[in-house]
Amino acid sequence: MIAAVRWELRKLRAQLRAKAVLLAALVGPVPIVLVIHGQSRPPKDSLFGRFATDNGFALSLLVLGFAAQWVLPLLTAIVAGDIFASEDQHGTWKTVLTRSTSRSRLFWAKVLVAAGFAVVTVAVLAAATVLASLVIVGRQPLVGLSGQTIDPSSALRLVAASWATTLPPVLGFTGLAVLLSVWSRNPAVGIAAPVVLGMVMQLVGALGGLDPARQGLLTTPFDAWHGLMTSPRFTGPLTQGLAVSAVWSVAALAAAYVLFRRRDITGG
Amino acid sequence: MRRTILTLLAVLLVVVAAGGAGLASGRGGDSTVTRARLERSLPQVFANNYVRMTHLLGRHDVTPASLHAQAMCDKHGPDVADVGPGGDWTCLMSWTDPEVPMPPEGYGKFELNVHANDCYTAGGPSKLVGFLTITDQRGNDVDNPVFEFDGCFDPSSSNEATGVLFPSLLSVTSPSVAPDPRGRIGVQVTCGTGSDGCAGTVSASADGSSLGAQPFSMKEEAPDTIVFDRPLPAAATEVTLTFTATTGVGPPKPVTLPVS
Repeated sequence: MIAAVRWELRKLRAQLRAKAVLLAALVGPVPIVLVIHGQSRPPKDSLFGRFATDNGFALSLLVLGFAAQWVLPLLTAIVAGDIFASEDQHGTWKTVLTRSTSRSRLFWAKVLVAAGFAVVTVAVLAAATVLASLVIVGRQPLVGLSGQTIDPSSALRLVAASWATTLPPVLGFTGLAVLLSVWSRNPAVGIAAPVVLGMVMQLVGALGGLDPARQGLLTTPFDAWHGLMTSPRFTGPLTQGLAVSAVWSVAALAAAYVLFRRRDITGG
Repeated sequence: MRRTILTLLAVLLVVVAAGGAGLASGRGGDSTVTRARLERSLPQVFANNYVRMTHLLGRHDVTPASLHAQAMCDKHGPDVADVGPGGDWTCLMSWTDPEVPMPPEGYGKFELNVHANDCYTAGGPSKLVGFLTITDQRGNDVDNPVFEFDGCFDPSSSNEATGVLFPSLLSVTSPSVAPDPRGRIGVQVTCGTGSDGCAGTVSASADGSSLGAQPFSMKEEAPDTIVFDRPLPAAATEVTLTFTATTGVGPPKPVTLPVS
């Protein structure tokens, strides 16, 4: 298993795309923070937007709200949507599967690497955004979602926790991308389809009359951090989001596993 | 065959879990955005922001608790259920600030845009909370925290009715009165958001002579035209209307309209 993971990591390291994603997550927040900080009118349409131009914590939460719309699904899908389909693209399944590793071991190695990449990318993006916001805009006391004032040290912890709450749905999207990658055998579908599905889920979630459906969508847990920024805090959406993300991940990976196991590669 | 069953099971699991989660927190499929939750959340968020505003102005005489803020919310008029997200929520709110007395009807009207994710943006009435920017105690123009503010509420918080009710406000919308060919006048009035609509009587007089009294009764958020049967004296230049409301709140002083 470790050998298989090591091989997958080596393939990932050789990919220009994966390196570009990590670099973008590391450097991308800086110009975004600079541009928003330079606005004369704050973007009041989004949560924390009204404080974003003169409060670093608010700015990093504004970026979080924006990233959750499609950036986070895209960041994980770029690797997870490609990790199986690229073997199809290069016609390398026969070579890979005739090595001394079982199919299921190979499957889980690829999933592990894709999930690890997702976690690292989100962590890098979060750290870069928070750091850039605090250095460029500053550590002012934050006004929370109950109108309460949050002192800078608690604000930093809450902002970090808010970014961390995106990990479960991001891993859900990793699973979805893996499934689409295995099923379509096409990297373009594996990368683009999870993002498109994410946007469709956002649209359904924003409709008023579909509340039961909304609770089960993979994009709803991206909003669960709101409860951390109110006073008193509420964590119901967080635990529910964790369960919803787990169900999506497990279901997608189970389906991908079944598809992958029964696949006939002798043809090419 | 086994794999097909496994796939089917996985799909079923997703559907059941999604449906179950939805039922568990959606309370039978309804939206989590409800009147009671907004009526609990808005006064709390408002009070925190209001105190922040008083601190900006250099005042330290009010606290969130001393404001005793309470709200009554309504979505899109009397005939629409008060549930679900939308930009058509209005909340009437009262609070106690010794320096800013409430108007005669006892509340200010807030307009809310509530999203499906249980967060909202509320805008306050300028005559009670001031304008977009205020001048703080150091002389800087800063954003007024209560002119517009964001809040989020817990989707599983109590959905029991709060029992806060405010009367509708009756107001005259005609800028002037114009007699019809038979000399009769009609006055346009509206009944604002409130608990029971508006009812009572209105009497009119012109140049010292009475035009009689008319009863009125209307639902909240509805316009009406009150017609007086006695003709207007030909030389009259002004009409004075005196409202006596039995339900809702009428204009506290007599309203005088010019004849056009």
